[in-house]
Amino acid sequence: MPDVILKNLPFLLNGLWLTIDLSMWSIVLGTLLGLVAGTVRFVRVPVLDTVALVYIEFIRGTPLLVVLFITYFAFPALFGYHTTAYRAAISGFVLFIGAYLAEDFRSGLRAVRPGLIQAGLATGLTRWQVLRHIILPQAVRRVLPSLFNQYVRLIKFTSVASVIGVTELTGAGLLVNARDFHPVTILATIAIVYLVLCIALSMAGRALYAHFAVRT
Amino acid sequence: MTDEPTIAIRDLHKSYGATPVLRGCSLSVKRGEVVVVCGPSGSGKSTLIKCINGLEGYQSGSIRVEGIEVGAKGTNLPKLRARVGMVFQHFELYPHMSVVDNIALAQVHVLKRGRTAARERARELLTRVGLQDKADAMPADLSGGQQQRVAIARALALDPQAILFDEPTSALDPEMIHEVLQVMTELAASGMTMVVVTHEMGFARRVADRIVFMDAGEIVEDASSDAFFTTPRTQRAAEFLSKILAH
Repeated sequence: MPDVILKNLPFLLNGLWLTIDLSMWSIVLGTLLGLVAGTVRFVRVPVLDTVALVYIEFIRGTPLLVVLFITYFAFPALFGYHTTAYRAAISGFVLFIGAYLAEDFRSGLRAVRPGLIQAGLATGLTRWQVLRHIILPQAVRRVLPSLFNQYVRLIKFTSVASVIGVTELTGAGLLVNARDFHPVTILATIAIVYLVLCIALSMAGRALYAHFAVRT
Repeated sequence: MTDEPTIAIRDLHKSYGATPVLRGCSLSVKRGEVVVVCGPSGSGKSTLIKCINGLEGYQSGSIRVEGIEVGAKGTNLPKLRARVGMVFQHFELYPHMSVVDNIALAQVHVLKRGRTAARERARELLTRVGLQDKADAMPADLSGGQQQRVAIARALALDPQAILFDEPTSALDPEMIHEVLQVMTELAASGMTMVVVTHEMGFARRVADRIVFMDAGEIVEDASSDAFFTTPRTQRAAEFLSKILAH
């Protein structure tokens, strides 16, 4: 291992850990947000449907960096609360990925055959029970590949948090480089680490959706 | 028990926009009766039976199931549907659940049976339709005929007062039609009230108490099975019969 990496290993590992931490929280909370927003759109819940639509379209039309600036600078100023770069980063990622995941969930929900909904209703299940036991389980299984695609993108997006001062993997690497100046070694190392993370997540996803595939 | 019919439809009208689908249909089905609904495609047969359990709405007229008005505002549709089973043309088994769970789902969530009791009942019903060894299979692993028998078991699991069949054999290969009709014949013999939309005239002749012939949204004939096949009263029914029995 190159000296510059060895010498700064604890610091870089700390950055790596922060990248994983940011990704995990963003994935878990973003998935919940996406599931709720996608379902609200699918069911056409009055009022909430419009709120979800505006949210999704706004996020999809806004650069990630701007979203982070909003959660770091604009929201605290607007609503008068204090935040940290770490929390603002997670909020931004959750909002960002949630909008894309909502669209994935919605398309999965819409892909469930209407005949199955009728069959569920015909057995006396309520609309909510049909959604919960028949539509959602199939939709989630069907969209697993798209979800993992978004998760893999998110891991790389977390590098943007370095701009608001979170020393995750990229931020840590840039700081080390600023002091020791070995751009090729440092950036190549970082790139390989991201690659390994993404491949690992992709493989986990593949195993998961092979296991849960819905055969029709 | 009163003499009220299990299903009573009076002067039912339904249209999609400006297109009328049902134009004043009246039909009454007594407890234990087997009624076959036939007629050319687009005549409103499927729509009519989907109105009975409220899967389709209607603009005017009345449908009473065991005395309860289906279209009334206060009607608890889920509760009513649990008492009227339905079997669909394309089976509509839940693809993400095993056969036994397909049959247990509504028992657990509608009848509030325990999971173990529901699975046990599912296995009993699978034995009844000849599929006891398929309890843990997934729907995709079954043939069409087997899937439809599971769908019948799923409808029976709620101990319904009547079962509606919407072209239950139309999506099946010829060699599988027989096994499904066999189960339906046994069901009829057990006294189940059945309304069956089908083109299987052999089944109709053997099993039905009455035949209802529909054309262009109207019930054109409502006759005993014998009378319908030997002496159809209307020109339209005679033409339909000659076409469908010719092949």
